[in-house]
Amino acid sequence: MFFKRQIPLLIVIGVGLLTLFGRFINNEAVRGFVSNDATQWFDIIASFAIFLGALNMLKLQLIKIIKKQKNWQYSILAVGGFAFAIFAGFFYRGANYITISDIQEGELTSVSGIIAEELNESNPFNIETKLLDSKDAYEIDKIFMTEGNAKIFMEKLTPYVDTITLNSKPWGAHVQTKGSLFYWMFINTITPLGATMFALLAFFVASASYRAFRIRNFEATLLLVAGIILMLGRVPIGNLIPWWVVSIMVMFGIGAIAAPFIKKRKVLLGIVGGGIIIFIIAGTLMGWNQTPPAFLSIPIIQDWIFAFPAMAGSRALMIGIALGIVATSFRIIIGLDKSVLGG
Amino acid sequence: MNNKVIMWSMLFLILLGLYILGEGIIFVEGIRVKFAAILLVSITIYYYIDRARSGEEIYLRTIPGLKALEEAVGRATEMGKSVLFVPGISDLDQVETITGLNILGHVAEHTAKYEASLNVPVSKSIVMEAGRDICKESYLKSGRPDLYSDDMVHYISDEQFAYAAGVNGIMEREKPAACFYLGKFYAESLILAETGNSIGAIQIAGTGSMAQIPFFVTACDYTLIGEEFFTASAYLSKKPELLGSIKGQDIVKLMVMATMILTVVLNGLFQAGWISFDILSYL
Amino acid sequence: METIKKIFILLGSLDRRIIFFIVGLSVLIPLLKPEWVNLPIRPTPESQIVFDEINNLNEGDKVLLSFEYGPSTKPEIHPMAIAILKHLYAKNIQVYGFALWPDGNFMSTEAFSEVSVEFDKKYGIDYVNLGFKPGQEAVITGIASDIRTLYTVDLKGTPINDIPMMKDVVNIEDFDFVFSLSAGFPGSKEWVQYACDPKNIPLSTGCTSIQVTDIMPYVENNQIRGILAGMPGAAEYESLVETELQKMKITATPGKATGMMAAQSIAHVVIVLFIIFGNITYFITRKKKRKG
Repeated sequence: MFFKRQIPLLIVIGVGLLTLFGRFINNEAVRGFVSNDATQWFDIIASFAIFLGALNMLKLQLIKIIKKQKNWQYSILAVGGFAFAIFAGFFYRGANYITISDIQEGELTSVSGIIAEELNESNPFNIETKLLDSKDAYEIDKIFMTEGNAKIFMEKLTPYVDTITLNSKPWGAHVQTKGSLFYWMFINTITPLGATMFALLAFFVASASYRAFRIRNFEATLLLVAGIILMLGRVPIGNLIPWWVVSIMVMFGIGAIAAPFIKKRKVLLGIVGGGIIIFIIAGTLMGWNQTPPAFLSIPIIQDWIFAFPAMAGSRALMIGIALGIVATSFRIIIGLDKSVLGG
Repeated sequence: MNNKVIMWSMLFLILLGLYILGEGIIFVEGIRVKFAAILLVSITIYYYIDRARSGEEIYLRTIPGLKALEEAVGRATEMGKSVLFVPGISDLDQVETITGLNILGHVAEHTAKYEASLNVPVSKSIVMEAGRDICKESYLKSGRPDLYSDDMVHYISDEQFAYAAGVNGIMEREKPAACFYLGKFYAESLILAETGNSIGAIQIAGTGSMAQIPFFVTACDYTLIGEEFFTASAYLSKKPELLGSIKGQDIVKLMVMATMILTVVLNGLFQAGWISFDILSYL
Repeated sequence: METIKKIFILLGSLDRRIIFFIVGLSVLIPLLKPEWVNLPIRPTPESQIVFDEINNLNEGDKVLLSFEYGPSTKPEIHPMAIAILKHLYAKNIQVYGFALWPDGNFMSTEAFSEVSVEFDKKYGIDYVNLGFKPGQEAVITGIASDIRTLYTVDLKGTPINDIPMMKDVVNIEDFDFVFSLSAGFPGSKEWVQYACDPKNIPLSTGCTSIQVTDIMPYVENNQIRGILAGMPGAAEYESLVETELQKMKITATPGKATGMMAAQSIAHVVIVLFIIFGNITYFITRKKKRKG
């Protein structure tokens, strides 16, 4: 119990107080620990902890496959994907490149032509210039995923070049190198899958707005109107909405606010309809067709909503959330809230 | 003014005085306002914790989302379906994740009591381990350690959308009757909430991520907005010390509001040339 | 009248799969046929500020470009990265690439290789990519104090002391400008808090639309100079850069965000129409219930 409860609590309190007040202490070692080491310690622990999660995921997926539980076929994909990523990252570099030097006399044009063809470059003269400029060995700007492919290309150059070597990018750098197996996997599987999931948001925003944006009360109406103005104002189509459409929307808004106070519907309709007609006629006479006023421009109204009401609301929320975080952190630092330690 | 207020005020002044005296030697120069602010906030919160410990009744308004926690678990039990708890996608270094796990403890007590199955997919390994400890403790506290299994809390993926896809899959296949989203979320919040809505689950959400709150409000039945989420562990445990810290937090907020108004007024007077004191340069 | 009411009730209570299908079409058709929808792009004041800040830099200035986005937010932020790089390269400004996200490495590699070839820029002389280091805010504080405590080699494994353009660069104070391409945490806010504001280095950012409300307070306080807000921001910046490149008589491939704005515009209009239909249905059905 002492190791499970008291020691972790002492570590939490000690490190918490040090991190909180360490920034005020005029000592390089303390400030260095607080600014850099503390977060790096966490990153190191988290990095090793990844094994726990990965093993847990593998265990559950393998049990599903072995016991042939419902939809076990998808678990094969999960385990296969995991294995492929480990293979491409840790066991197979797949980042081979070729360097050449000592090009035979008179063969520069041939060599640059072969390289240009391999790199799909339309102008071999650029390659020729780079070959002439290179002092030591020239690294051909192409990464071969397999040694076999690299050697096939090397055979094309061998008759014209005296020194040709096949190299591999160092471990670690191979992950980032364009053309390597890991890079291919990232760009061709992870990127489209991630983008697809993010794209789902567009559909879900549509269905959520359709379901939730209803004129139930004043606040819901305000949310609806602000949402519509922001959606239209943020995109170029907002610039195309003419001033008289906005003035119609304004009159409908006034009508919606006045509706609870005016019992007779015909009177309300008359006020809204008459208001629209007067607004449009007055605007036309004032030359708003040529120079529409700023307050009837959707993008400008959108800018205003963003800069003032939305900003005020988000700042208030931010302050509240920040205070909540401060209070929670304080409770944890002084050892009052022990629930995260399991009790 | 009672003795405790005088005592804590004296402590604040003494500590601040010591800091000012030690500036440049032991303490860093030029940030005394920050130090004073941290000290004032800490002392204020601790003062109210102390008052709560002494027996003072602390009133907290009803938070519908937290009241509905037990109802949601009960509903899942009646329907014979599981409860899904998503503690966010951040690691244990984020306060929201810690708060989410605190609430997980309470939810786990209810699921143990009602014998409902609990599913907690996580995105980070450390959160998985912490979640397991918390659930095990909760099941033990409820007298049902036999119902607990380590596989309740399981890892899916560190990658944001891979995690969202995994949780969505769980929701579509298992169709939990109650979904809790309590932690730090980013763009995947709406994906989770909409999927939960489509399967007809009762959804309770809470996050400190300001940008995600509107999505949860739209799609979930109950949303803990802003500090409501951070008061959850105090609200649910009803421990006097924790409730006292909530009151302290509210008093700090009052102080912040008063400072803002004072700053606006003083800065306005300075801009108008009526006073020569520039409060902004001091802050 | 009854028929019209029935049509509205039908439109207001559609199955969400039909909504998804219509939204999908509204995005797909403008993407396949961008010439059918030609919308003028109006740069917002915030995008104009970003453009002016970079435009006022001089040849040979050093800019730190930080990649904090991944594959999911690539469609929104990558066009910004490309446009920024074109602008910087056109003005012969030296670009130093960093990444606070592991995915940022791949994004930076792609962005640099796409634009550097077009502008004939040389690695190590015109641009360098130092890549990702774990540590989040600690990386930013490290860059703010001494880059060499964190980075000993660049992304390709070359020692940074062997790279010509790293010769006079010690920490963030040696940069004239910082631009953060941010999709979350760590991102622009952390650059403000730990480096640019304490050291008084001008900072601008391009971020996803959802993050804009989080970052706007810093823009209002001038701690961040201007902001490119999501894909509309990318399209606005592309149009400004393309005008500037035409003035400089430089030809470059057009950006992708401008073409995607038509799709986004139509999708927004479709969503607004669905909201309106939903509300009309709501009123009709509410009226019927009251009468009943």
